[in-house]
Amino acid sequence: MIDTSILILGLFLLAFGGFAVYDLATAKRRREVYRVKSTVTAYLMLLPAVLLAFLFVLLPILYSLGYAFTDYYLLKPNDISFVKLENFVEIIEEISEKGMLYNAIKNTLTFVIGVVPLQIGLALLLALFVNRPCFGSKIFKVCFFAPVVISLSVTSFLWLQILAPGEGGLLNSLLGMFGIPPHDWLRDPETAMPCIIVLSAWQGCGYQMLIFLSGLSNIRKDLYEAASLDGASRWHQFWNVTWVGLRSTFVYILITVFIGACRILTQPMLMTGYMSHTVTLSYYMYNSGYTKRLVGESSAVALLMTIFIGGITLIQRRLFREK
Amino acid sequence: MDKFTQDLPNFRPNKAPVRKNVKEIVYYVVGIILSLIFILPILYMLATSTKGEVAYAESVGTLNMFLPDLAHLGIAFENYKNVLLGYDIWKYALNSFLYAGIVIVINILVNGLAGYVMAKLVFPGKRLLSFLIIFLIVVPVETSIIPLYSIVKIMLGLKQQMSVLGVILPASISIFNIFLFTQFFQNIPKEYEEAARIDGANTLGVFFKVIMPLSKPILATVAVFCFIGVWNDYLWPSMILPSASDGTWPLLPIQTALTTIQSIEGITTGEIMASLVITSIPIFVTYVAAQKYIVQGFGTSGLKM
Repeated sequence: MIDTSILILGLFLLAFGGFAVYDLATAKRRREVYRVKSTVTAYLMLLPAVLLAFLFVLLPILYSLGYAFTDYYLLKPNDISFVKLENFVEIIEEISEKGMLYNAIKNTLTFVIGVVPLQIGLALLLALFVNRPCFGSKIFKVCFFAPVVISLSVTSFLWLQILAPGEGGLLNSLLGMFGIPPHDWLRDPETAMPCIIVLSAWQGCGYQMLIFLSGLSNIRKDLYEAASLDGASRWHQFWNVTWVGLRSTFVYILITVFIGACRILTQPMLMTGYMSHTVTLSYYMYNSGYTKRLVGESSAVALLMTIFIGGITLIQRRLFREK
Repeated sequence: MDKFTQDLPNFRPNKAPVRKNVKEIVYYVVGIILSLIFILPILYMLATSTKGEVAYAESVGTLNMFLPDLAHLGIAFENYKNVLLGYDIWKYALNSFLYAGIVIVINILVNGLAGYVMAKLVFPGKRLLSFLIIFLIVVPVETSIIPLYSIVKIMLGLKQQMSVLGVILPASISIFNIFLFTQFFQNIPKEYEEAARIDGANTLGVFFKVIMPLSKPILATVAVFCFIGVWNDYLWPSMILPSASDGTWPLLPIQTALTTIQSIEGITTGEIMASLVITSIPIFVTYVAAQKYIVQGFGTSGLKM
């Protein structure tokens, strides 16, 4: 593996050198002047960043591409062989046999489909709700933002107590007041993912609310005045002024929340462990790559997931592109 | 404005103000209900952290769940003392602060220098690097955590102390921060640098004496997001750091240590909640103290798309 890394570094330097020579050759045409001293300084100052980025950003990406086609087992780094598409065949087999990977895909899709509209919708509603100049709205804003301050792992442990089974759990005891019998929320396949969706949206939406608010503050007030002079109803004002003004903010939030939701891992990991009704794609990848040490298979799943996320992100950008 | 329009509101019988008041009341009622939904779990966490096992068991199912046990402040003190000293949370917290501090310094130095070069210097190969930066920001990299793990393990060997570097170094490089710094530095007028150069400063001197002091807002934003990122990171440290401490100083940061603390035998619900509260306090303080820079971060994050 160290040999491969050095080989990749060599290729990278070669490519960089090639581009540098090309830049030098076309310098005159582009009216660019390169000085030796400033070039040397630039390279020296870039060195730490390039070194770290090569090791911890570029190399992992390239390796996860490469490993996907090998049978790399973490404990035998020297015994690695090229297996072509075997990992992908195994993936298809596991999906068709409705194994753990099938569940992981199903749960991740459930989570994404549930949490993305819920979290973004809540964030937008809350932003519109607190976006008025009065004393109360500031306090409400702080309350809505409060869950963002506690991290995902703290959130998971906190909700583990709230959703605790039996009459001792907070939710069960609250529902008990209305005569609803206690329920084991996280172990019931019907309720586990919905619970995780709700607590994730609860934890995260305050952050997107603030981003929506900064988007709202950029909308010119006179547009609303003009609209109401033209006799536009509240709904028309929202649709034609607010929504249009928030469009780029919305696309940004949609893409970041979507990518974040696809990567969900902490909540199921800390709240239920590796169970078929809550396992997610990232958790599956973590389990096969780290716990079982089957890096090859894990990387193949990672590759498919990257393609999926990248593809959907592209589609989202196309759909909501500025006109 | 003439007298007629000025008096206009008074011509209407009191209908409009009443309707306005009703609206106001509805607004506040809805706001209070929504706020309660959002902060009740947090109130529950705070309240439970002050209770002993008996008081907690009694409070379940009543409104007391959300109220602290003010009659027995001794127990609250006991809970926090046990967690901080008895279960070593202060050591884990210190680790987190150390990791975050080192990451902030290296991150700003390394990415700041790179951003400066990309913004101000001319050198062959620059266009390739610009392209790489944009490419790496757009591609979702997070799925490469397993290869990253194998690289770091092989690089650092299996020595426990070295694994600390595995936490610090990967967090110290951020392509997005290079991009942010580049954007910011590009807007600093050339005149500042030229004045310093006439005084005989070299490029590194210009960077530290001219650019850095002018860039306090972006430095603060990067530092704040770095701190929150390192403090809240759970998964990576749990993979890379040894969890068993057997008498020596533990290496885990606080978030990852929460798992260890949860599984301590005989720990009470109150103590678990106290550990969660302690873990959240530094981030709370950061958000309160650095609001301005976090909102600025939103402004800059808009650039990302």
